[in-house]
Amino acid sequence: MLKIKNLKAGVEENQILKGLNLTVKAGEIHAIMGPNGSGKSTLSAVIAGNENYEVEEGSIEFEDEDLLDLSPEERAHKGVFLSFQYPVEIPGISVSNFIKTSINERRKALGIEKLSTPDLLKLMREKMELLSIKKGYLSRNMNEGFSGGEKKRNEIFQMAMLSPKLSILDETDSGLDIDALRIVANGVNKLKSKDNATIIITHYQRLLDYITPDYVHVLYNGRIIKSGSKELAHELESKGYDWITKEADKEWA
Amino acid sequence: MSEKKQLSEDILLEEVTSAEYKYGFTTKIESDTIPKGLTEKVVRTISAKKNEPDWMLDYRLNAYNAWLKMDEPDWANVEYEKPNYQDVIYYSAPKQKPVLDSLDDLDPEMKKTFDKLGISIDEQNRLANVAVDIVMDSVSVATSFKKTLAEKGIIFCSISDAIKNHPKLVKKYLSSVVPVRDNFFSALNSAVFSDGSFCYIPKGVKCPMELSTYFRINEAGTGQFERTLLIADEGSQVSYLEGCTAPMRDENQLHAAVVELVALDNADIKYSTVQNWYPGDKNGKGGVFNFVTKRGICHKNAKISWTQVETGSAVTWKYPSCILKGDNSIGEFFSVAVTNNLQQADTGTKMIHLGKNTKSTIIAKGISAGKSNGNYRGLVSISKGATNSRNFSQCDSLLMGDKCGSHTFPYIEVRNKSSQVEHEATTSKVGEDQIFYCNQRGIGTEAAIALIVNGYCKDVLNQLPMEFAVEAQKLLEISLEGSVG
Amino acid sequence: MGLINEIKNYSDKKNLSADKRSALDNFLENGFPTIKDEEWRYTSLKKTISGKYSINAVGRDVTKKEVEKHSLGLKHKIILVDGFLISKPEIKNISISAYSEFISNTNEALEKLNYSLAKNGYTISVHANTTIEEPIEILFFNTVENNFIQYRNIITVGDNSQVKFIEKIQNIDCDNVFVNSFTHINCESNSKLEFNKIQNNTPNSSLIDTVDVFQKKDSVSNINTLIFGGKFIRNNLNFEQNGTNAESNMNGISVLNKNQLADNHTFVDHKSPNCRSNEMYKGVYLEKSKGVFNGKIMVREDSQKIDAFQSNNTLLLSEDATINSKPQLEIYADDVKCSHGCTIGQLDKEALFYMRSRGIGKEEAQAILTYAFASEAINNITINKVAMLAKKLLINKLDVDLDHNI
Repeated sequence: MLKIKNLKAGVEENQILKGLNLTVKAGEIHAIMGPNGSGKSTLSAVIAGNENYEVEEGSIEFEDEDLLDLSPEERAHKGVFLSFQYPVEIPGISVSNFIKTSINERRKALGIEKLSTPDLLKLMREKMELLSIKKGYLSRNMNEGFSGGEKKRNEIFQMAMLSPKLSILDETDSGLDIDALRIVANGVNKLKSKDNATIIITHYQRLLDYITPDYVHVLYNGRIIKSGSKELAHELESKGYDWITKEADKEWA
Repeated sequence: MSEKKQLSEDILLEEVTSAEYKYGFTTKIESDTIPKGLTEKVVRTISAKKNEPDWMLDYRLNAYNAWLKMDEPDWANVEYEKPNYQDVIYYSAPKQKPVLDSLDDLDPEMKKTFDKLGISIDEQNRLANVAVDIVMDSVSVATSFKKTLAEKGIIFCSISDAIKNHPKLVKKYLSSVVPVRDNFFSALNSAVFSDGSFCYIPKGVKCPMELSTYFRINEAGTGQFERTLLIADEGSQVSYLEGCTAPMRDENQLHAAVVELVALDNADIKYSTVQNWYPGDKNGKGGVFNFVTKRGICHKNAKISWTQVETGSAVTWKYPSCILKGDNSIGEFFSVAVTNNLQQADTGTKMIHLGKNTKSTIIAKGISAGKSNGNYRGLVSISKGATNSRNFSQCDSLLMGDKCGSHTFPYIEVRNKSSQVEHEATTSKVGEDQIFYCNQRGIGTEAAIALIVNGYCKDVLNQLPMEFAVEAQKLLEISLEGSVG
Repeated sequence: MGLINEIKNYSDKKNLSADKRSALDNFLENGFPTIKDEEWRYTSLKKTISGKYSINAVGRDVTKKEVEKHSLGLKHKIILVDGFLISKPEIKNISISAYSEFISNTNEALEKLNYSLAKNGYTISVHANTTIEEPIEILFFNTVENNFIQYRNIITVGDNSQVKFIEKIQNIDCDNVFVNSFTHINCESNSKLEFNKIQNNTPNSSLIDTVDVFQKKDSVSNINTLIFGGKFIRNNLNFEQNGTNAESNMNGISVLNKNQLADNHTFVDHKSPNCRSNEMYKGVYLEKSKGVFNGKIMVREDSQKIDAFQSNNTLLLSEDATINSKPQLEIYADDVKCSHGCTIGQLDKEALFYMRSRGIGKEEAQAILTYAFASEAINNITINKVAMLAKKLLINKLDVDLDHNI
């Protein structure tokens, strides 16, 4: 589904990703872990098409199509979803209005008829239940005055509403208490199918206690330096990152 | 508020408002003074006394004629009795040997003056790396470190010397930033300025020391009209300081200076002022009228940074400004303005964005005490061609006591869609909860206020060169004596 | 100049009272303000007053259908045509009548002009201890092309009373009408007023609208100004707080395009201690439009414990649009919390990316964010129909595909 080859990207003259390779197939869950500053958030931003980042080399293919040529909204229309580490507040726009717009924009792009308001509300109610979201929430303004947990839950709610093919969860677990973490993880698990894929970007393995990844990758200094099964995450949790990063440093030196 | 605290604040206020001016002595030196009043003849006399070339005399006469047709501005939020311009002495120079071989030859009385002011002009004993030019009344009397600077090709001298020795530079840049007709006071200054500092930093030279001018009005009834012209050639760098004091006199003294800065491509000028002219007594008698025009122009990638600590003068009218002409140029303005007793200040800046990607920052902190009034007045203008420009302004006012006033008049004009301007202003008093918090930690109310005011001004004081930051901090203490220390 | 001469001719023919004559002479001494006048430095009346006008001319009747078309459909409607009161609701404890002469002691040239020439407008008095639940709609219709017309209105909200108004000026079968409106509002003790102004007149209309609000203790006044239509609009909104614990709130939206100009001048005079004021003005400027904001907060000596907050946020969305903003604080008391913030800029790039990553196209995302930006100032409108109308006008003018019902 997703093929990233030798990706080099960064901000202005500062190269952050230094030749990253990653392949994700439908039905898989990948966890990308790594110490702070290793390039995790840059990766998610580049996949989603944030124009603040420049791609210098390499390619990203999504369902055999070059993703780098597409605008952020076109990537979304194709089924790429990014759960933001810091979801943006949009005062003045209600959650329901926002979601309605994004669903219908996608439908427009795909040539499907707009979703009617009753159908939309029905769908929303369904997905709200899945994520234990209370009713008044829909009329609140996008992320305005939301707690950290509410913002993250809102991200997963949108993911549920948009049913993307590839979901990237960027530090979705940060700032969540244990109950919220469980709800979010539960939502992700229920939305999982053989047709979609998930990339979980995280610093800790906490979230991985609830969502079992098929693969775990360690990102360091802009490259994936180790890949393995979920056991790798446990190993990282107990031993920290030093043992692998030192090796990598030696190799590059 | 408890009665006790109220009492201590009252005492504090009393102390604050009755603090004495420490620089209020006069120096007994013989002066060469011309009679009062301004006529064409006076302009000619000044020019003649300074042995000026004809082009300079023409420049002055042109300015004088322009001034005659202009009116004194009254849009500032200050009230004062307009000076009688025929009652001012336009030229007064200390009578001393016309040319000094070394600073040791300085008039001993004058030397004493500088000792009292805490300015050492003895090159051997200098603790700080600062070259000083001293302007007393109207004339530059001493410039230190000339040789060291000359080795780098830096010219640092009185403007009179510059007119004689570097006429090409003066001709090219004088009034290029502040036109003669810019305003009433700039025209007046152009007609009668008697001295001031001139500085030229050659291409690519980083000035190895701080340059400094110290201004002092001494003679009674004299106006001081100094002129400063600073040119930083391509890729050069300089930090310049000026300080000013005056004796205590019952009548108002007039100070109408013009400062012009030229930052050519990639040059960087930092201009710091600690202004401490005599503010008048606590009943508002006497004090200096400080009507100053300061402006700099930035060419490509150049930067001008103004820092000012304004504690003196009875009335201040002053807006150090930046014309950001070149693409990617940067203008900054950092200001602390303290008014006490019956002082009035109307000060601020203008940031004129003309070039692309130009940036400006304005941090203005006002502190008003006693029965004084402080005004911030500023203009941020972003022209159509100044695409992708940025301005951030923050203007805060602190009020001490219920008899003072603090006012903010920002003008913001934006003419393109890719630029961003952010302006914030707040007015507040020292918080009771802050004082209580300090009290609880064993810090007395007085010390607490000192602490808070200092913290409040920190963003600006941090901009000053080390040597001046200490002086400025002391000055704040004196201006708000009893509350800061 | 055109209009000045018309005014002279008109007044020569009329038998003005001595007071009005002197007010007019006072006006004529300097004429209309020019850009040399500090309060008008960014707003030139030159074009507006160079046109040819009749003065206070009267035209035709307005049909029921026309009223319906331009009304919000509220129960209580006051209808004025070319300034004349032609219809009013019967509401218990509230008296509504046509123009009545009153003096206002301001020094404004345009108020003097209004005073000397005005013959039309409304007089509303809400008696003490009265709460009017249903908002009252005030509709001014103009029917004469090239007319210069004065409205002069007075509202008194009695002790402990509450009332809400919506005011709208609408040209019918005419476009170039220049209205000089003056409204004097007294808010008595513990009263509560909401006054909504919908300024969405025809493309060549000009308006100078002055509202002076005088507030006594414990009163609350909320004035909302929504600007969408008209060529030239100058609003002067002044509050004078003459009692403790008074509160003045104002919200404004200007969404302009083409060659529209809107100038919002607000002034809050905190003359009593323990009072509050809140101000939020949002401007969106498209095409060649021009915005001016001048907000002044004055805290008088001994008016301690004042909380005054002001914000003016602007989006410039076209190369040819301009904004001039002048927020001012004049503070003469120390125990106050006053602040003003002013931003001028573009849409938040992060928010734009966020929306695009959800599949919303760039242009649509921009329009939605612009809508969101402006609609913040609508949130303080308590009359649902007005808030809905405002949102609808916003959506139409910004051409966004949003459903304002959800």
